[in-house]
Amino acid sequence: MEQTSGKIGIREYIAIVLLTIGTKLADDLPAILYSSLYNAAWMTPIISGVISILPLYLLLKTMMYYKEKSLLEIIVHLFGNYIGFVIIFILWIVGTAAIVIDSAIYTDIIGTMYFTRTPTIVIYAILIGVCVYAAKHGLEQIGSVAKAVLPYIKASLFFALILTMIEGNFAFLFPVLGPGGWEVIKESSIRLSIYGDILYLSLLTPYIRKTKDFTKGTWIAFVILIVELTIAILAYVLLFDYNTAHLLNYPYHEVIRYISIGFLANMETLFFPFWLIATFIRFAVYLYINGLLFGRLFRIKDFEHMIPSLATLFLFLGLILENESIALSELRDHLLFVVTPIFFGLPCMLWILAKFKGDYKNEKT
Amino acid sequence: MKKHKLVYKISCLFILTLILSGCWNQSQIEERAYVIAIGLDNAKDENQIKLTYLIANPEYGSQIQGGGTKEPPHEIISFVTDDLTTSRNAANVVISKEITYDLLTVLTVSQEFAKDKDFIRWMYDTTKDPEIRRDVHLVVTKENASEFFKKNEPKLETRPHKYFDMILDRGVETGMLPSSELIEYFRITEADADLFLAMYGTTKQNDDENQKRDNDNFTAGEFRYSGQTNTTNFAGSAVFKEGIMIGKLTADETRTTIMLNDELNATDVLTTYTDPFNENYRVATRVNKTKRNKVEMDLTARTPTIDVTIPIEIEVLSAHSMVDYEKDISKRKKLKKSIEKEIRTKIENLVRKTQEEFKAEPFGWSLVARKKFLTIPAYEEFDWMKSYPDMKVNIKINVTFGQFGRQSELPNEKEIRD
Repeated sequence: MEQTSGKIGIREYIAIVLLTIGTKLADDLPAILYSSLYNAAWMTPIISGVISILPLYLLLKTMMYYKEKSLLEIIVHLFGNYIGFVIIFILWIVGTAAIVIDSAIYTDIIGTMYFTRTPTIVIYAILIGVCVYAAKHGLEQIGSVAKAVLPYIKASLFFALILTMIEGNFAFLFPVLGPGGWEVIKESSIRLSIYGDILYLSLLTPYIRKTKDFTKGTWIAFVILIVELTIAILAYVLLFDYNTAHLLNYPYHEVIRYISIGFLANMETLFFPFWLIATFIRFAVYLYINGLLFGRLFRIKDFEHMIPSLATLFLFLGLILENESIALSELRDHLLFVVTPIFFGLPCMLWILAKFKGDYKNEKT
Repeated sequence: MKKHKLVYKISCLFILTLILSGCWNQSQIEERAYVIAIGLDNAKDENQIKLTYLIANPEYGSQIQGGGTKEPPHEIISFVTDDLTTSRNAANVVISKEITYDLLTVLTVSQEFAKDKDFIRWMYDTTKDPEIRRDVHLVVTKENASEFFKKNEPKLETRPHKYFDMILDRGVETGMLPSSELIEYFRITEADADLFLAMYGTTKQNDDENQKRDNDNFTAGEFRYSGQTNTTNFAGSAVFKEGIMIGKLTADETRTTIMLNDELNATDVLTTYTDPFNENYRVATRVNKTKRNKVEMDLTARTPTIDVTIPIEIEVLSAHSMVDYEKDISKRKKLKKSIEKEIRTKIENLVRKTQEEFKAEPFGWSLVARKKFLTIPAYEEFDWMKSYPDMKVNIKINVTFGQFGRQSELPNEKEIRD
């Protein structure tokens, strides 16, 4: 077999970011936003996007500054061994919680919307199994798959959203401020963590060919994500109106069940597979990053071998949650709150510490 | 080593095939019974419903078999049950195949049941079942739904799924029926501001001989016809307020509603208007709405007002008075005035009816009102449904003429009779 570098380029990186975060528009994230912001929910991706620019900028700046080091090394370097360990541990715990809760939610989507009779454990095991298979092959493989399927996934999504918009009614956007302007800003800013995955994805820098690719790719993907999430959340309201939309668990899946082109009904069979592939890639990346953190924590060099055993653990944790599937969405909302301060605070602290330590000056001279 | 790899690969293949055959959701077409329409009626017990399934026979009339099967096109089964989902098992006591709602297109509800205060509980069953899609049509029937299905015997299109598809779509196109998908039922009920209109149909003929002069002013069952055809007819609409049926609109009123409501759309409306030159005759026209209505509201005034301007394009198809409308501008002006007046009176009557009788409107005006508010709390404070009955509604009609038929010029009646 040909030996490869195991690193990814800018296109692969963008594809990974778009698929990991972009898939959120097709799970229960819109439902969470509608339940507090009603028809103004579409402003959340924009508002939290604008606020996220600060931590993102600081994060990228700090990382650019220690070009040779990965984010984990920077954390250890700046915080020292002990606090660094604690921070990485917290990152790992939060990441684990995200995988467990999200994968349980995705299993719930597949189970309730499509395969109603298949036992949950089978769906869960297949979902995790495929993702582990992908994750174990390393980031380069995930990246190239992501890059290859991205156009099709986004095209199908775009198509679905266009059809939704055609069926929709723009009058449903009014009253334009939803529950009130202040409320919108408040609720949006405590859910900054929609983009929190970027912090995790920045752990991948050692596997990106050029550091420049990372900064550039992050900004490009970030802008696309804001637009994409906004349009999607807008589209669901246009079709259902806010009173109905906040009652739906999984708006995207309700949407693809409703839309039809001419004589072609049951369009969901066209859109579902694309969504599924995106899901696989998303969790493959999550698992890979989780393994990376775990490997760093306990000094395991070939952390890829840890992924299957970790995933098995997550599977069983997720199954416990799955039995309480009503609580899932609430848990996810809590998780969004928890991740927000980490996503906002960590880059700021890193940057301040770097300034404080005076490493900045050294670099410039 | 190589041998090991081969064994490994083959065993993988075997495991994969095992997994594939274990699809829990797999089922064969011929093992499923496709429910095309569900009927809901009151049962004796309060917490139960009488459910009717209209199950299509997929073999019937299929081209591949040369239209060959001796089995009937559909079968009907009615029974009392607790809800829409578990009823599928109960039906299997009689039906040999697995019941599926995948091809469900019509949900029929008897008028009596739709007026039941618990009606909405059963409707929400449909949002739970993953097989029921939100584009299912809601149809209200005058008689019991079970009876409706039994009597319904389409002659030229015996396949039930095609029959319902076609007759309902056509009704929507001609404006005799509102488009009444479940998605709208839930949206309007949950928004709690407007009225929802459902299609109205029956197989029962009304024996009342007092047919009105204007021939669109009927609901299903009032249209008089004879011949050898199906007794089912669909016309007019059932009015739902807060999810429960409160009244009816005639086919003509339904059309007028469609004219007022930009969210509804009828593309092929043929109707007649009184001829201003001879009141005994009527002018046959095709009505088009090419532009959206202009709805302006003043909600801050003590009596809130709504000003509606409705642009309508009218093609005169034929005029029995044999008045030469094509050539004479002044005659055309008079016709225009008279049609505008007729439509306006019709609309004003309907608006009065909605304000006094229904105390809410089916025109989608609450959506326009929403634009006047910045936040949802402010809009809810205003309470559209409560405020509407006291509002002042001004209607303005803007008629423009389209084509005047194939042969525009007509001979002078007197000269021929000469």
